[in-house]
Amino acid sequence: MIHLNNVTKYYPSQLGNQYILRDVSFSFPEDRNIAILGANGAGKSTLFRMLAGSEYPNSGSISSSASISWPVALSTGIHAQMTGRENTRFIGRVNGVANLAKYEKKVQEFAELKHKYDLPVKSYSSGMRARLAFACCVAIDFDIYLIDEATSVGDQKFKRKAKRALMDKSVSANIIMVSHDIKEIRHFCDSAVVIKKGQLNFYDDLEEAISIYRKL
Amino acid sequence: MAKVQTRNRLRIWQDVIFALFIRGLQSKFNDKFGISWAIIQPVSFIFILSFIRGAMNGAETHSMPTFVFMVYGIVSLTFFLTTLSASSKALQKDKPLYAFRQVVPISSFVASSLFEYIVKIVVILVLVIIMWFIDIDLTLHDPITVIINFTLIWIIAMSLGIIFSISSAFFPEVTKFQQMAQRPMLFISAVFFSLQDIPKEFWPYLEWNPLLHAIELSRQAAYPNFGAVGVSQQYVYLCTLSLLFLALVVYKRYWKQAISL
Repeated sequence: MIHLNNVTKYYPSQLGNQYILRDVSFSFPEDRNIAILGANGAGKSTLFRMLAGSEYPNSGSISSSASISWPVALSTGIHAQMTGRENTRFIGRVNGVANLAKYEKKVQEFAELKHKYDLPVKSYSSGMRARLAFACCVAIDFDIYLIDEATSVGDQKFKRKAKRALMDKSVSANIIMVSHDIKEIRHFCDSAVVIKKGQLNFYDDLEEAISIYRKL
Repeated sequence: MAKVQTRNRLRIWQDVIFALFIRGLQSKFNDKFGISWAIIQPVSFIFILSFIRGAMNGAETHSMPTFVFMVYGIVSLTFFLTTLSASSKALQKDKPLYAFRQVVPISSFVASSLFEYIVKIVVILVLVIIMWFIDIDLTLHDPITVIINFTLIWIIAMSLGIIFSISSAFFPEVTKFQQMAQRPMLFISAVFFSLQDIPKEFWPYLEWNPLLHAIELSRQAAYPNFGAVGVSQQYVYLCTLSLLFLALVVYKRYWKQAISL
């Protein structure tokens, strides 16, 4: 579903280029919920952002025919001066949502913002902002959701709701997840990709991947 | 859940520019003045500056009302500077939004420059209304040429903005150079004086500046007796084309790295 063709990615630094991926060709298998595992600084988030098209490799290409969500970090694309509704409409427009009014309503309901939806986001608590960002994402139909510890947002009640929504999603769509929370990974994923020394390895068996990840 | 339309590239581009444009409106003007501030501020600035200079120069400058002469200069110059600054800040300002695959820097450049274009049109309309009220003899002999030159200034400013924006992503010092370089623009762009007022031996220091050509040509187009000398429309076209081409080349080559840094 997602193909990496000879992808090389590095960040320039004073000590020379810091390689994250070195000439990697790799295909993410279809219809699996995949966890991305790796030590700190191995490049999980970078790989993640490259899958999302938020960042680009230095050489090589990433291609996919599936529709992929943006990385649902805590407040991607949310502008503090704009109201929750305006932010929702912006995200809807960018992603080409067909019916903005319906989308707005869905986000408002899911994020449980009630009347605060029409106030500027700067008046929100951090939990509310995260709820808004998460709701904006799950309210759109994607083939693949990129989840970046986003189920840790909000209070217990919202966490449960977010998890349930993602579980419902994983029936019709797939999830690629970055998390350090093994419990969460076991909950959502059935296989894993381990990043090590600039290479990617796919493990069909999640437990095997986790045991390798623990030894890293 | 919300269905997503399948869109072709052009449609995505349109939607994103529209979304960024609206976002610019909503996020910029949420104080009490609201959107009117975008108009009042430049109108008052241009009006005061033109009025002071107009009062000093006498009623007519080269067959043009002095006030109108000044308006052409100052509107064009501020248009150039605000578009340049909007476009050169666009990349940095919208950086968090590139998380969305659909949002690419060129959309930011176009959206923010378009915003400046529309603001300036409204500013000009307001100035025209003011001039009508204070009984200034306003003629527009050749509106097409004026509009073309106005648009060329806009394209030049946007192109320079793209070049500055992308190079400052790699070398932040560029911003300082840009600020320094745009400071003398007020004095070398024929804003206060026409090129014909300046002794010929100084022309080589000024003639390279396409903004000067565009301003003089607009005045000439509006008042055929203005008598612009030493300027050429071809030169403005040539500058616009080369700068736009250069900007697009730089963009095409470096935009992915610029947002991946």
